[in-house]
Amino acid sequence: MAVSVETIVARPAAPEPRRFRHGALLAVVQHGYIWFWLAIFAMPFLATLFYSVQQTGGGLTLSAYQYVLGSFRDNLVLSAVSTVVTILVNLLIAIPAAYGLVRYPVPGKNLILSTLNLSLYTPAAVMGISLVIAYAFLFRIPQSFIGLIAAYVVGTFPLMLVPIIVALRDLPMVYEEAAKTLGASRWQSLRRVELPLLGPGISAGILLTFVIVFNEFLVTLFIAGPNTTTAALRVYTLTRTAGFQPSTAALATTMQLVSFLVVLLFFQVFGSRYLKGTYLI
Amino acid sequence: MSRVRLQEVTKRFGAAVAVDRISADIAEGEFVTLLGPSGCGKTTTLRMVAGLIDPSSGEILFDDQVVNAIPPAKRNIGLAFQSHALFPHLSVARNIAFGLEVKGRAKQETAARVREMLEMVELADYADRMPAQLSGGQQQRVALARMLATDPRVLLFDEPLSALDRNLRDTLKYSILALQRRTRKTAIYVTHDQSEAFAISDRIFVMHEGRIEQSGSQLDIYLRPQTEFVANFVGDNNALRGEVIGVERGAPGEPGQLLIQSGSIRLTAADYAGLRLGDSVLAFVRPENIAVMPVDVDAADPDTIVGRVEQIVFEGPTVQLLVDAHGIPLRVAVSGLERLRLLDAEQRQVRLRLQEVSLVRDRVGQPAAIA
Amino acid sequence: MAQTTLPQSLPAEPAALPLTEARQTRRQTLIGVGLLTPAALVALCFSIVPLFYLVQVSLTRGSSFFFTPEYTFDNFQTVGTRYVSTVWQTLKLASLASLLDLVFGYPFAYILIRKVRYREFARTMMTFPLFGPLYLAFGMFYILLPNGPFGSILQAMGINVANYLFSLPATLFAMAVFTFPFMVMNMGAALSNVDPVLEEAAKTLGAKPWQIFTRVLFPLSRGGILAGFLMCFGWNLGVFAQPLLLGRLQEQNVLSVVMYDKGLIQFDYGLAAAMGVVLMALAFFVTWLSLRFSRGALGT
Ligand SMILES: Nc1ncnc2c1ncn2[C@@H]1O[C@H](COP(=O)(O)OP(=O)(O)OP(=O)(O)O)[C@@H](O)[C@H]1O
Ligand SMILES: [Mg+2]
Repeated sequence: MAVSVETIVARPAAPEPRRFRHGALLAVVQHGYIWFWLAIFAMPFLATLFYSVQQTGGGLTLSAYQYVLGSFRDNLVLSAVSTVVTILVNLLIAIPAAYGLVRYPVPGKNLILSTLNLSLYTPAAVMGISLVIAYAFLFRIPQSFIGLIAAYVVGTFPLMLVPIIVALRDLPMVYEEAAKTLGASRWQSLRRVELPLLGPGISAGILLTFVIVFNEFLVTLFIAGPNTTTAALRVYTLTRTAGFQPSTAALATTMQLVSFLVVLLFFQVFGSRYLKGTYLI
Repeated sequence: MSRVRLQEVTKRFGAAVAVDRISADIAEGEFVTLLGPSGCGKTTTLRMVAGLIDPSSGEILFDDQVVNAIPPAKRNIGLAFQSHALFPHLSVARNIAFGLEVKGRAKQETAARVREMLEMVELADYADRMPAQLSGGQQQRVALARMLATDPRVLLFDEPLSALDRNLRDTLKYSILALQRRTRKTAIYVTHDQSEAFAISDRIFVMHEGRIEQSGSQLDIYLRPQTEFVANFVGDNNALRGEVIGVERGAPGEPGQLLIQSGSIRLTAADYAGLRLGDSVLAFVRPENIAVMPVDVDAADPDTIVGRVEQIVFEGPTVQLLVDAHGIPLRVAVSGLERLRLLDAEQRQVRLRLQEVSLVRDRVGQPAAIA
Repeated sequence: MAQTTLPQSLPAEPAALPLTEARQTRRQTLIGVGLLTPAALVALCFSIVPLFYLVQVSLTRGSSFFFTPEYTFDNFQTVGTRYVSTVWQTLKLASLASLLDLVFGYPFAYILIRKVRYREFARTMMTFPLFGPLYLAFGMFYILLPNGPFGSILQAMGINVANYLFSLPATLFAMAVFTFPFMVMNMGAALSNVDPVLEEAAKTLGAKPWQIFTRVLFPLSRGGILAGFLMCFGWNLGVFAQPLLLGRLQEQNVLSVVMYDKGLIQFDYGLAAAMGVVLMALAFFVTWLSLRFSRGALGT
């Protein structure tokens, strides 16, 4: 006993500085490791960006970007429109579904949720081939805009559903009850109280839908036609047919930049809280 | 502004009975409190009056109108929640305006009413704050303003102060009472805090296991408990098991006197429970209603008894004694200057006089009461 | 004050009223079902029914399903013989890439959860891979281009990029980067549920760092690790762009790629569908396992 007290008392003299140095080294290694991977995540984007503005024979140019608003414009517009439409449809079906699952005594909730989530677990190529068949044979909407939207909706509305369910579960019933006792109708309470309070969850769903749909190319590759080629699919087909062109790099850069800015905006406004338990972070 | 009546109201959750055939008649402008331990069904009762849950059976009436089928939004009630429940995304003013806006009142009328309410709760300068920027007491005052803004017929409170600290609770409970007195609205107030209930009620309903055990004024509840539960739940009480050995009729209109024998202790008590000679009774004496005297004072009085002081605890304003009176332990509270003289009385004999004894028919031998 | 009315009418009430309560619950259930209907219809029409069609087509020859279906089991036989290497290649790539994620992701998740204050920033950067494997492979291709600017830097560092441009390592690396966030997310969730006090307790009891790992951290975060691995594995099973852009023919011999070729280029829908069914079965099995270990994304 007495010995250990002595060692404790004697200690601060010599070993302390060495331990400090050791700790600092460890911290450098640890943070270095994180930054190494963060750099790797950003690297492909930065390389693409660099390629897109590189001039043959040195120097920088934005000339590749003329294609982005030129021959790629229709693709970009289609990407933007289909993303927005998908988000709207997702909202229209996911908000009621979340209410049904959280606030009402529906039997077999877990089974229902798994079934709704099924498409999330289906590999894109499988979804692509099954939809090609169903569109050609059953719905008779091959290569159509409707078909594209339907595919996006079924593939992403679980991503809208999950954050809204989380937000709705976190929302105490008292707000709905307070609105009720103050004389609000069901619709008034929904519009004035619940939807604003569910805002972050809904926004998370919008973000996830956006990130996936805006950049989706594989399901699209199976079901799209000449008139329904999205920008992401264009990147793919151009790479396969024309090799690595600066114009393709410019399109890929634009797509990633837009996506990243939206993500950044979202994180600024809402943080990442409502993205937990979803497939993004 | 409405008389509120409950008639045989029952609420079952599955097999469990949360509220069991409650009947009550609350007069216009009356302030009643539902007092009871946790889980006795207070909140459930209040939420049925609010319309947030439907009774399993029974009727709720506002004035002469049965409101069972009327949804809460149309009942015109004000409900204060334990957690103020202010809408976190709306400013103080917008919160207060909420009820008026959803009812489609004109803009100017709403604005004027909001201002009036803010002044009433003395928060006129806080109109544009968000709820999160207010203290707990301010939040609860905004909640009061919000519930009063729509001029409801009935005010309902579900432990609105329980989340606040004690000082704030003390001041706010009087603010609530003052607002109710000013607006003359019928109020039902749920609490498990006795001092709160005693301070602000016209009438107290003591609830126990889904039933109303007793209703009455503070004095009725405190001095004339009608059941063992009420006697034990409200305040501190010594319980003595005994038998009626003498009955003395009082003057017409006045309660008679009963003589009770409990072990070797004899007590006299006012008869307001309609007891008869030979009835088994539980006699309750509050610690503060036991007078302590030196042994040699009033030695001839048969209504006094001698006991030995077992323990003394100094609690500041009172001194608590544990006295062994012929084998029966009695808790005694002494206040005033007298208490200081008792401090070194341990192991000494004292003479006690048991006053303000209340009686409840003893149901011993009936299994239901023992369980 | 207790104004009881007609005590003789009382016995009738309890019998009558549970019925209204039951009716009310039924009404609530109906509303809930109604609210779920649109979502369920979408899932039915565009997920369940197409997958059933896929199974049906997989049992027909060529593209005969669209004309007069010739039912046969040949497609699965073909997958099990001629294309068994495709299945193996898919499983191999998926498991190797997920293993990479596991090895590199665990320390990443641990440091991120325990030591890093700029977690929000790290999360933001981690969204880059999630924009999709296509851009990732595209960028990596440019990095590995021997005469490109990055290639020369790497070459100067002693890495001969020419060896890597079309190779197994490049493919695996791109796959691993794509699924890295999923791994970190699962592990991070598991690790943040392990109270740091436990590590300190182990330390005060004299445990060495590796003992803390094997005896405290690993056992307590095993579920998350497994779930993360399986989730990565599930995603990597469907790999498509990375082998096409960064791999040799060998690496391109994976189910998604071959399925696309057979179905949409050669119109052998039967064979493509059979591959789809195999891939789907693998993915669902892996997901099922993963959800068992993570107890569901919603913690139900
Ligand atoms: N929604 C419900 N489902 C099932 N049982 C419930 C429900 N609400 C209340 N109960 C039960 O009904 C009984 C009365 O509950 P209530 O909330 O009315 O008690 P209380 O008197 O308000 O208690 P407290 O002082 O703790 O708030 C309790 O036993 C409770 O468990
Ligand atoms: Mg309560």
